[in-house]
Amino acid sequence: MNFVHSTSGTGNHEAVVTRVSDLQWQAVEGDRAVGRGDASRRPDGRLFLSIDAWHGAVFDRIADAMLADLPTPLYTVVDEADHDSRSAWERAGFTTARREWGYLVPTDPQGTGLGSVRPPSDLTIVPAGEAEEGPLRALDSMIRDEVEAAVGWQTMPAEVLPRPAGSTLLDPSKYAVARHCDQYVGLVRVAPLTRQPRIGLIAVRTEWHRRGIARAMLAHALGSLHRSGTASAWAEVNESNAAATALFEGIGARRVGSTLELVRRWRSATPHRATEPST
Amino acid sequence: MTKAAGGVEVEGIVIECLRNATFKVELQNGHTVLAHISGKIRKNYIKILPYDRVLVELSPYDLTRGRIRYRYRA
Repeated sequence: MNFVHSTSGTGNHEAVVTRVSDLQWQAVEGDRAVGRGDASRRPDGRLFLSIDAWHGAVFDRIADAMLADLPTPLYTVVDEADHDSRSAWERAGFTTARREWGYLVPTDPQGTGLGSVRPPSDLTIVPAGEAEEGPLRALDSMIRDEVEAAVGWQTMPAEVLPRPAGSTLLDPSKYAVARHCDQYVGLVRVAPLTRQPRIGLIAVRTEWHRRGIARAMLAHALGSLHRSGTASAWAEVNESNAAATALFEGIGARRVGSTLELVRRWRSATPHRATEPST
Repeated sequence: MTKAAGGVEVEGIVIECLRNATFKVELQNGHTVLAHISGKIRKNYIKILPYDRVLVELSPYDLTRGRIRYRYRA
């Protein structure tokens, strides 16, 4: 695909935007590439956009081209502290759908206060790499159904890695689980990134809530990281998830940033400079 | 140093995380630039931390500015 989208000038920038593949756009000014746009599908099927341009006018032109070509809804993510990016996406008609707080989580039991935390007496924690794959996949599936039926899985931390069709669980070795008899009732996934591990998911079956299981799993996961010499981990928590916020802030996790997920739910009648639809 | 589609790309080391989602990066040639992260890095939740080795695309309009396009594995 090599479809020229627009050739008109944008202020001092005479950028020509071309769709160079199904999911890629490029802005060229003279013989110089001055911007690019990419679209990619998350494992949940949603289409996320990114645009890199050195000038706002070029950003706008790439956005117009992408919005004219792609079906809505469309999503993107920005660092909330990045005011230029946020306002650029807002000019393109995107609005904030949700906010994720980024937490720096200490691992030292002296700091977290989790040193003496144990799971309820009828439960045990199965360490990462030792959980049985079949029951783990079943638990993951049940938890997703429960979350989807309640607040919706889209309020959980973002999942961006591609995965095989029909599978929601990419690498079983990253999961520790809480076990009751022969049944798994909760899980925690830690991505063992060298510089700063990421707590990607922590969840408990609905009927097992309010028994301190998530806290016990967190104590286990953070304790393991501390023993391996890791001082802190990273976690994202949806702003509306009061239980998760309380869990992390209760162990001394520090809020150090925020990511906004922006959405454009409708398609404007004209591709250039969006306006709100009348309702 | 390589010539990328959008400009010159140079390897560097992140020496400081600044406000407004920008980073101070020391390039291989000893120069320091202020860099944002690319939309793809943001979209994929790749975290940039001090001492990370990164690939920076320099702005063709201002060589003291750049965009982090890639973070190398530690």
